Parts: sequence; structure tokens; C-alpha cells
Amino acid sequence: MTVLVLVETVLLAVLTVLVAGLLRAYGTVLRRLHALDPGTRQDSRPFEVLPTPTARPAGEAEFGPAHDVTGETLRGEIVSARVVGVEHNTLLLFLSSGCATCEAFWTDLGKPGAIQLPAGTRLLVVAQGAEDESRADLAAMAPDGVDVILSSRAWRDYEVPGSPHVVYVDGATGQIRGEGTGQSLRQVAELLARGTGEVGFLTGAPARKSARDREQEVSVDRELLAAGILPGDPRLYGSDER
Amino acid sequence: MTSRTAAGAPRSVVGAHGLQLRLPQRWEARLYLRDEPAEEGESLNPVVHLANFALPPGRGDFGSGAVEVMGPGQAFIALLEYEAAEAGTPLFAARGVPRPRVADFAPNALQRRLPGQLGVQRFFTENGRAFCLYVVLGSREHATGLVGEVCGVLEHLEVGRR
Repeated sequence: MTVLVLVETVLLAVLTVLVAGLLRAYGTVLRRLHALDPGTRQDSRPFEVLPTPTARPAGEAEFGPAHDVTGETLRGEIVSARVVGVEHNTLLLFLSSGCATCEAFWTDLGKPGAIQLPAGTRLLVVAQGAEDESRADLAAMAPDGVDVILSSRAWRDYEVPGSPHVVYVDGATGQIRGEGTGQSLRQVAELLARGTGEVGFLTGAPARKSARDREQEVSVDRELLAAGILPGDPRLYGSDER
Repeated sequence: MTSRTAAGAPRSVVGAHGLQLRLPQRWEARLYLRDEPAEEGESLNPVVHLANFALPPGRGDFGSGAVEVMGPGQAFIALLEYEAAEAGTPLFAARGVPRPRVADFAPNALQRRLPGQLGVQRFFTENGRAFCLYVVLGSREHATGLVGEVCGVLEHLEVGRR
């Protein structure tokens, strides 16, 4: 009997040591994971959170200055594209040939109507330069008619953290109005619409209307977006009363 | 605020194939070699497109695809090189990069006639190379200012040896 008690005591002690060791190892793993990704991303830049749906006071720069884009197209065309100090706004879509999420963007870009832009907005897809990218892979993925510029410099200028990444630039002020990332063009469009108040990202270029009508619609769109109501939201149509 | 690089300074110099351009504010450029020679047996010569608006992809050598989206206050320039053997021939007898005047522009000089637009086309030789300069203005109303801008762009075109 005494021997049995002794054996059980020893087994219990060994198990206790093992469990304590496992818990300690688990704690170490958690600490290291936390060091890699703290979750709250206190060191992140503003673009890494959802763009705020509230309007910024006029003249206040939230995201900083934009840059013109120079590089080369897939055809070998040398490009100097103005982004700053121009009448049009620019949507820069930073993509690469190797990232899995980018595949959906490349595919969507080839679908008619898959991307909607506010009136007077130009889309530039920016990949890294030939020294960092596979030109052949990009050529195979890029749909016809999409302006693709290879420019590692633009990636550095805009401090692109990875792809896909999107930046919306106000041409007149030369300031970035919104940026971020997403899983699809549609998701990015919704973020941009909320962040900038430009419903054109969801509906495309507005039809020609009087300035007064247009201003009123923009104002209403902004308020709806601020309330999280996007085109197609059932709340826009009221309830069916039979 | 972000830690971005401070200034969005204009990127305004484009150069290749013995051509160099310093662009003023608002103007952008695209420089490429023709996909196919203008005539059989010719070499692939460069084409430059310049505009004070966003140049779309997929343009024709004389700007089709771009002039259709031009506004009345905008201008488009195409500079096309031809075979060096053509330099100095009667068609390319004019020397130096031309500076068009408002009176030179007319709708019937357009490659593709679009409402309100005016065009001019000039052939010339510079540094032993043969070129065609083709300019489109968005409207007569803005012609004086646009011609001034066009001449400002051409002022900073340097033609070297290929």
C-alpha cells in the first residue's frame, strides 16, 4: 500500500512538472507571437485602419503629400504621369504578380464595370519595376486597356506596405485623400467611398446634372455614407406595407 | 500624420532614344517605340505624346484615344520620328523644332475631326533626324493660352543623336 502511494506521488510530481513546462512554453509562444503582431497595431499609419467616414476640415492633411508617377508600361513605354497639381484625381492601385489576393484584383479589372470611379478620376495600376517583378507574369495577368506602370520608385514614394494597396489622390491639392487595402475591388471601393465621401466609387461617374442638384446629391450621399448606408441598402427603400 | 517622404516634387524629365523633355507643371508624357515600322523595311522609330491632361492607355500614334477625352482647355502634342534618310528631304526641309502660332491651327488639319478642336501638323529636321509635330487644341476659345503652353513644352525638347 505504501509503495502504491509513493508511486502515485512520484507520478503526480512528474505530471505537475510536465504541465508547468507546457504552460511555460505556451506562454513563450504567445509572447513571441504578440511581439510579431500586437493586434492593436499601435505603430500603424492611418491607412491601416478603415478610413474614417467623417469629413476632414478643409485644408487639413490627413495622409500627406502625393507624388507623380514615373516608370514604364508593359509595352516599354516611358511614362511620366501627373498625379499632383492636375485637375483630375487619381486612384493608384498597387498590385504585384505574386500575391494571392492580387489575383482577384487582376481578374476583376478585366471584367467590364467591375471598378467604378468618380467622374474625372484616373486609374493607374502600379507594379514594381522590372528589377523586382516578372514582366512576363504581369503581362499575362494585366487585362487589356488597363494602364499598368512599373515603378519601384512609386512604391517607395508612397511607402506601400504590401500588395494589394490602394491610394486615392486629390489632384488639385496634391494630397492623399484615402488609402488602404482589402480583399476585393468592391471592398476597397466601399472603404474609399466611406473614407472620402465619394459615392462615385460605388456608382461610377455621375450623370450630367445641374450644379445645384449635384451639390445636393453629394451632400445627401455623404450623410448616408457617414451613417453606413451604401447603395442597395434595404433601409433606402423603406418597408413593404401590404 | 504619416512618416512619408516630405515632398511630392514634380517628376518632369523624360528621356530616351536621343530625345529629352523637361515638362512644365500639369504636362505629362509618354515615349515609346512604334510596334511596327511606318513602312516596310523601316526601323522602329520613337513617338512622344505630351498632354496637359491624363493620357489614357492604348492611344494611336496621332493621339486617337486621347483627343476624344480632351477638354476645351486642354492640348495634345505628338512628336513622331521618321527614317533618318528622310531628314532634309523636301517634306522635312524645315530646320529646328517648330513653334506653332494660333493662326496656324485649323479644324481641317486634324487627323480626326472632333467638334471644337483645332490642329496643326509640321514636318521638320533637327540634328539630322526627321520628325512630324502634330498638335491638337481643345477649343478656339482657349487657343491663345494653349499655344503658349505648347510652345513652352517644345522649348524644352532636346533632340540628340540616337
